[in-house]
Amino acid sequence: MASYTKAAQQWATFARAWYLLDAKMQPPGKIAAVTVRRLEGRHKPIYHALNDCGDHVVIINTRHIAFSGNKWEQKVYSSHTGYPGGFKQVTATQLHLKDPTAIVKLTIYRMLPKNLLRRTLMQRLHLFPEDVIPEDIEKNLLQEIPQPHIVPRRLDEYTPEEIAAFPRVWTP
Amino acid sequence: MAAPSLLRGAFRRLFAGLWGSGWVSPPARTLREVVEVTEGNTTIIEGKIIEDAEAPTPPNPSGQCPICRWNLKHKYDYVDVLLLSQFIRSDGGMLPRRITGLCLEEHKKIAACVQMAHRAGLLPNHRPLLPEGHVPRKPKLNRYLTRWSVRSAKPIWKRGPKWCKVPMPVGHLLLKDNVKYVYKPLYYNH
Repeated sequence: MASYTKAAQQWATFARAWYLLDAKMQPPGKIAAVTVRRLEGRHKPIYHALNDCGDHVVIINTRHIAFSGNKWEQKVYSSHTGYPGGFKQVTATQLHLKDPTAIVKLTIYRMLPKNLLRRTLMQRLHLFPEDVIPEDIEKNLLQEIPQPHIVPRRLDEYTPEEIAAFPRVWTP
Repeated sequence: MAAPSLLRGAFRRLFAGLWGSGWVSPPARTLREVVEVTEGNTTIIEGKIIEDAEAPTPPNPSGQCPICRWNLKHKYDYVDVLLLSQFIRSDGGMLPRRITGLCLEEHKKIAACVQMAHRAGLLPNHRPLLPEGHVPRKPKLNRYLTRWSVRSAKPIWKRGPKWCKVPMPVGHLLLKDNVKYVYKPLYYNH
């Protein structure tokens, strides 16, 4: 603001940024909510629907997403091939084992606004099942988005001092 | 032989009944550590009484169950593994109520939280023993706040129209009265 040239400030305002999001132990719905906000560009004060100010989002570890409740067994993804008898219904578990990025992709696709911009925004989304990213994408990354869901600590992740400091609630 | 032990058992049950209607247990013996000392010809096997460290006084000593005594009534969740691990056996099952001293509703709440913690994978060392156990299992999926067991949940093939969708339950209804520090409502059906 103070010491930037006008050209540099305009470049920084309207440039398309690349964000990284780690989906390990995260629910896909919350991941999608954060991603859609960045893809549309609503996190910028210069947002307008016609402005095309969205950013790129790279999501890693989509294989390790966590559903709350029994959704792995209960959630059903349906599709129709268009031909008679072509109604396919797959549970979330089966779909995830077949394609680890499909659940996150479908969730984000269904959360984006249902207009012609949706397909272009999906092209700006990059999904990777593990944390292996191609080099050219890795060089573009600007910032990491904080994880929406707080991952609880396992019992073996507590140090013995913390376990000893916790009082015994009952004695035999 | 069989007869004297039966008699002794019968006597104990008689006396246990006479000790009042509440759960007043007979004076408990402390834990003893077995120490074996060999000196030449003589071997001495001794049970030494272990002096337990002084348990800290709970903030509310007049409570009936440990949760009320420590003022934790509506304040714990499936995440508080340090608390939940005090009420489970080494293979993951719950300890009986008469041993831990919990009241019925708290025992049920803790049992629900322990189940959710197991399904979330927060208690990895409290697994049941499998002697031959085929180690490479099918890939486990991450989950949290699972109310029903994994094998018992069936897919919802038809969820229904928007105004009457079949819900997918999340979390446990027993924990509905937990203290909330945010003003957002917690949804138990997604």
